[in-house]
Amino acid sequence: MDLQQFRTELFARGRELGYADMEVYYQADKSTSVRVFKGEIDSYTVAEKAGLSFRGSIGGKMGYSFTERLDESSIEFLLTEARANAELLQGGEIEELFGGSDQYPELDLYAPELAKLDPSVLIEAAKEMERTALAVDPRVDLINYCMVTNSEAEVSIINTQGLDCTVKSSLVYGGLSAVAKDGEEVTSALDSGFVTDDLARLDFTGIATRAAKESVAKLGAQPVESGQYPVILRNNVAAQLLNAFSEVFSGEAAEKGLSKLQGRVGDQVAGANITLVDDALLPGGPGSVPFDSEGTATARLEVIREGQLVTMLHNRKSAKKAGVSSTGNAVKGSYKSTVSIAPNNFVLQPGTKSLDELIAGTERGLMLVELQGIHAGTNPVSGDFSLSCLGFLIEGGQVARPVNQITVSGNFFDLLQSVEELGNDLRFHAPGRGACGAPSIKIAALSIAGK
Amino acid sequence: MLNQAVVEDVLNAALETGGDFAEVFVEDRTSSVLQMLGGDVDNGVSGRDFGVGIRILDGTFAVYAYTNDADRDNLIKVARAAAQAIRGQATGRALDLRKSVLDNRHEVKLLPQDVAKAKQVEWMRRAHLAAKAVDPVIAQTKIGFLTNDQRVLIANSDGLFVEDRRVRSRMMIEAIASRGTEKQTGFYGPGAHAGLEYFANLDIEHYARVAGETAKTMIDAEFAPSGKMPVILDNEFGGVIFHEACGHGLEATSVAKGASVFAGKMGQQVASPLVTAVDDGTIPNGWGSQNIDDEGAPTQRNVLIENGILKGYLIDKVGSRKMNMASTGSSRRESYKFAPTSRMTNTYIAAGQSTPEEIIANTEYALYAKYLGGGSVNTATGDFNFAVREGYIVRNGKIEKPVRGATLIGKGIEVLQRIDMVGQNLGYGQGMCGSVSGSIPADVGQPMIRVSELTVGGRKGGQ
Repeated sequence: MDLQQFRTELFARGRELGYADMEVYYQADKSTSVRVFKGEIDSYTVAEKAGLSFRGSIGGKMGYSFTERLDESSIEFLLTEARANAELLQGGEIEELFGGSDQYPELDLYAPELAKLDPSVLIEAAKEMERTALAVDPRVDLINYCMVTNSEAEVSIINTQGLDCTVKSSLVYGGLSAVAKDGEEVTSALDSGFVTDDLARLDFTGIATRAAKESVAKLGAQPVESGQYPVILRNNVAAQLLNAFSEVFSGEAAEKGLSKLQGRVGDQVAGANITLVDDALLPGGPGSVPFDSEGTATARLEVIREGQLVTMLHNRKSAKKAGVSSTGNAVKGSYKSTVSIAPNNFVLQPGTKSLDELIAGTERGLMLVELQGIHAGTNPVSGDFSLSCLGFLIEGGQVARPVNQITVSGNFFDLLQSVEELGNDLRFHAPGRGACGAPSIKIAALSIAGK
Repeated sequence: MLNQAVVEDVLNAALETGGDFAEVFVEDRTSSVLQMLGGDVDNGVSGRDFGVGIRILDGTFAVYAYTNDADRDNLIKVARAAAQAIRGQATGRALDLRKSVLDNRHEVKLLPQDVAKAKQVEWMRRAHLAAKAVDPVIAQTKIGFLTNDQRVLIANSDGLFVEDRRVRSRMMIEAIASRGTEKQTGFYGPGAHAGLEYFANLDIEHYARVAGETAKTMIDAEFAPSGKMPVILDNEFGGVIFHEACGHGLEATSVAKGASVFAGKMGQQVASPLVTAVDDGTIPNGWGSQNIDDEGAPTQRNVLIENGILKGYLIDKVGSRKMNMASTGSSRRESYKFAPTSRMTNTYIAAGQSTPEEIIANTEYALYAKYLGGGSVNTATGDFNFAVREGYIVRNGKIEKPVRGATLIGKGIEVLQRIDMVGQNLGYGQGMCGSVSGSIPADVGQPMIRVSELTVGGRKGGQ
């Protein structure tokens, strides 16, 4: 059954069962991925998947269900399950479907040239990446992950309030992990990149070279003495940490008492050098999107301006409770999820200094380049983090030696107040919605546990 | 789920370009997630996953394709498209599918759909009430309830044609203590490869109280010290240390590439002689158990380490071809959206000789990790880390005081070699394990163990 026919029958049958309003959220993805190992294709995956999320209001409550099969039996299944789920809801919050915004931003997210790419181009790119990385240094022992993926995604939201919007997007991703070996010692380093428009702009050579060089640079690492150190969080690490704590900006988390930013809009919550923007319209941004998962038009949103908390991120439900408008941050992780809240392109605005200048300005300190166990070691409720990490010791303004077997601990909210300097090297942590970007940042002091 | 004639046509299409093995994995899964916050249900979603994965091997080269559209013509189209990645000639070998019937080792009495959701909500509310009742400092609770009914059909060109059904359910209990702007959480997540009779018979209040006690204890705890020190890890979820520090490095995925510190060490002493470690996918109703793995091989009890000597790896079909070793029934995947690969099931360190009381009494100074959170490992380097959910300082043979915010870091083989006491109280804890073939249910387990030295990361300076 095609989507149009399925939706028509679903809405008709839903009306008979007493549903007042109904919505379908349909997501279809296609992708081709190649993994290469030792010059050969290690795996090759062709995927086409689609799923449909249903939600409908019945008896004053909103019920959710989903299916990956669009057939007659799924219509009854969706309606019965959503009703059963709705009946359990307590708390009396009424969720309403949205008829649509007056205007949507025009974004160019789909690249037909990428859709037409021959798989052999991906295979060659992956093989070339592996060769490049292995050629960087004889101590690069093997490449244990080398992958290129070409994907496209389509999302449509259609409801009985009149909403009818569709967006299509493309993405090519390349990632490589290099393993370096010196005697018994083994190190590894990962790098990746993506483009949403033109394959020529994806720097496969840069990905391979950076990963390989870093794996070698990590050889000979030792812990440092425990203590307080000035710390540079390199761009990838700063972005990863921002991502781990992005839910503290959720209006829903705040309303439920799960964020320390609850009730702090208007307050100075960060240093005056901190401006944090959620920019859904960012050209080439990994999370750029014209409408959110409820159909609300997106925009460029300042969340922290010069240290002052301007707004929380909202969907329609949390906005209503807070007495404000949705900020276009409703998100469904997939058609299996209910509507929650996440940033689109969450960007810590960069400063002016290069990473080299940040290092040169550090008499003695650490530069962290990799965090491990990010979800286990962070507590978004308290803001505390304690994470195993790798990096380099800086002495006299220069990188002195690699460092491993240490943990860095602190608190995200304290960290926002103690950023001394911001670099100019903005980088995103990973593709997809909820993407976080940051430059390298220097923190006055963080607690390091080592020797 | 898919009839035998269609499966045969798809397998034949997959082998048209010379692949030497083809496999079809059909999955039809219904699942439900309920979420309760502060005693009220605030979220409920249920749904149906359905799709087909087609895998073709040419030696150790694997092609994988999947689709939700299970029409015969589409499946053949998808199989042919995947086969294009292999450039050879069909061998013309005739298929001979033989339907096999499983002996189900994991009894399910109450299917999720046969229990009213209101009953599930009642169990969740009991957890909420018990966690709240621990202390007024417990300001919030979050209770999740998951049920999962997965039916699979696995067929391959070696003649396999088998169906299996895996029913799992789990409750996630989180208690949040709050004092001023401080918040600390406690967690317990009991689950099983069983029907909902598991919850009807479970002491839900016990698990909820433990979650509440953890949050309460941690809100008043001072920061953990940092530096190198002895560490005592308690049983059940404490086994995540072995899972992260060693288990991932024993999977064919990393061993076959030589990207594991355990590669080439078979028969060697890799751990303290006190350590025997096992991965057992056959434990009746175990959270990580299955009758067959996700390429249709029966699951097994695999001894990984015996008295400190490396005895075995976890091997799937592709791994077995790369390593010239037999499959160990260890191939798993989250769903049809993932090609299967070598993974853990229920992995544990076997019971030893000491009582937990003896271990504490014989310890001059240590961090005692009563409950651990999650962690991760870099299999290439063996570096692991995990979070301590509830920790204490042991001094002069006694538990002195609670401490919070500790992280444990180290290298897999080093920690295995430094285990100097192993307790008798083997227990299991449930978790979700994420890796290349997706997120899968896995049990970790161990008795209380003592490690002579580990690096502890905490916010306070040295001891």
